[in-house]
Amino acid sequence: MLEVSNLTKVLPNGRKVLDGISFKVKKGEFVGILGPSGAGKSLTMRCLNGLLKPDSGSVVLTDDQGFSSDICQIKKRELRKVRQKIGVIFQGYHLVKRASVLENVMIGRLGQISTFRSLFYGFTDKEAEEAVKALEQVKMDHLSGTTTSGLSGGEMQRVAIARAIFQSPALLLADEPISNLDPSNAKVIMKLIRPLSENIPVVGVFHQPEMTAKYCTRVIAIKDGKIIYDGDPKLTNDQLVEIYGEELHQLEQHEQPVLAIQ
Amino acid sequence: MNEQLILPSAKYKHKVGYLGISLFVVVAVCIYLKYNPFLIFADFTPIQRLLGEMLPPNFSVLWQPTIGKAIAQTGSAAFLATFYGCLIAFVLAFLTAANTMPLRFIRLLVGGFLSLLRIVPPLVCILIFIIAVGLGAFSGMLALIVITVGMFGRLFTDIIENTEHSAADAIYSVGASRLQVIRYAILPQIIPSFIANCLYAFDVNIRVAISLGIFGGGGIGYALYMAMQVLHYQDAFALICLIIIMILLIEKTSDYFRTMILGKEKLR
Repeated sequence: MLEVSNLTKVLPNGRKVLDGISFKVKKGEFVGILGPSGAGKSLTMRCLNGLLKPDSGSVVLTDDQGFSSDICQIKKRELRKVRQKIGVIFQGYHLVKRASVLENVMIGRLGQISTFRSLFYGFTDKEAEEAVKALEQVKMDHLSGTTTSGLSGGEMQRVAIARAIFQSPALLLADEPISNLDPSNAKVIMKLIRPLSENIPVVGVFHQPEMTAKYCTRVIAIKDGKIIYDGDPKLTNDQLVEIYGEELHQLEQHEQPVLAIQ
Repeated sequence: MNEQLILPSAKYKHKVGYLGISLFVVVAVCIYLKYNPFLIFADFTPIQRLLGEMLPPNFSVLWQPTIGKAIAQTGSAAFLATFYGCLIAFVLAFLTAANTMPLRFIRLLVGGFLSLLRIVPPLVCILIFIIAVGLGAFSGMLALIVITVGMFGRLFTDIIENTEHSAADAIYSVGASRLQVIRYAILPQIIPSFIANCLYAFDVNIRVAISLGIFGGGGIGYALYMAMQVLHYQDAFALICLIIIMILLIEKTSDYFRTMILGKEKLR
């Protein structure tokens, strides 16, 4: 379970970019974070995996064994241990281009093996077999021997998901995982991420309310560093206007709403 | 604040202006130094006389066992200097690159050491080693190692710093250590460039080894120097032909392998 309490971050110029962000995500939940640009979504995500230290507040991750750790309080060495339990899917895939698809997937468990073994031996055959199984889940096992540089955006994101699956995390974070993809690939990726939330909490930042409405179990909307909505993923027109502001409202004066679920 | 927009016509005027100033400086310097830039085309007599004494080349000198030994000396000095030089440069580059060495103090120290190696001119370097270990191929090799470390240490640092950071971020995000990030994110990206640059280093080192040989570094360069000293110009010309063929062969072989590793578009 992930428990975020009262996250606050103030920039040196005095601007409060995170203002008391609090929410809980349980196993079985796929939470989509929405909000306009600069609202604080990405900052919140950076706090969740320890890339950014908030001025106050806590991010407590509790795994299946009941072991809890506050990501905001722990030191570097302990943070590395906690990160082994947090899978991250990035917007830009973040794969090693010259390495094969299989090697990229196995990298997911790099934090869990000793530095000595990883430097001088690498991964075992058993780990490779498990990595192929992770690739089977995203239907990429037929390309496991090829280098990732020749893959399409959708294929690269599927490899990144396989990497997260192979990592066996206690929490999965997805930072705008479908922003670079066409609608059909975006659907494929969302269909792959959704079942993962049956076993672990999944939190993702999105810019597509129609996607979060269809695939997420809950939506949190952030605006000006504050949570302004936390609940059902299907948002009404008024709620969308409240989240994205008058610009969206003005757009809707001229065209039929395509984002909102009536 | 936005920068002021410069129109194409204004840019053209700037270019013409800079060209005019450059020409004026060149002419002014020539006048001040009383140097006639056309002098080089005026008198070919010394070159004609030298060529007359060099032709026809005495190729029989190439069959002497000392020449074979000299080629082997130059080749092995260049090879060993490339091997040790690139290896040392490779290790030092990781200590200088900002994305692999977090301690600024170490980065500055090692970076400063590499700069120092680059500052020492090759001829000064060979003179130092001749004084230290005596005349011959060994001092030539030591000088070449210093030159290689200085030159390729900086190059390898740039290659490491220009690797994609996104792969490293992903590996850090799974809880990996810095060494693991170097092994799994940085090494796969830099190894092809490293091998290609080692081949290029060998290519460069062969030429430098010949030049250093003339100044006491031994090998084929020294054989050429001795032939010129005793006024055996026909022997010297045969050696020059041999050196040209040797360099061409090594350059083409090195280019072939570098193209294989990096792909044609990245060559040079």
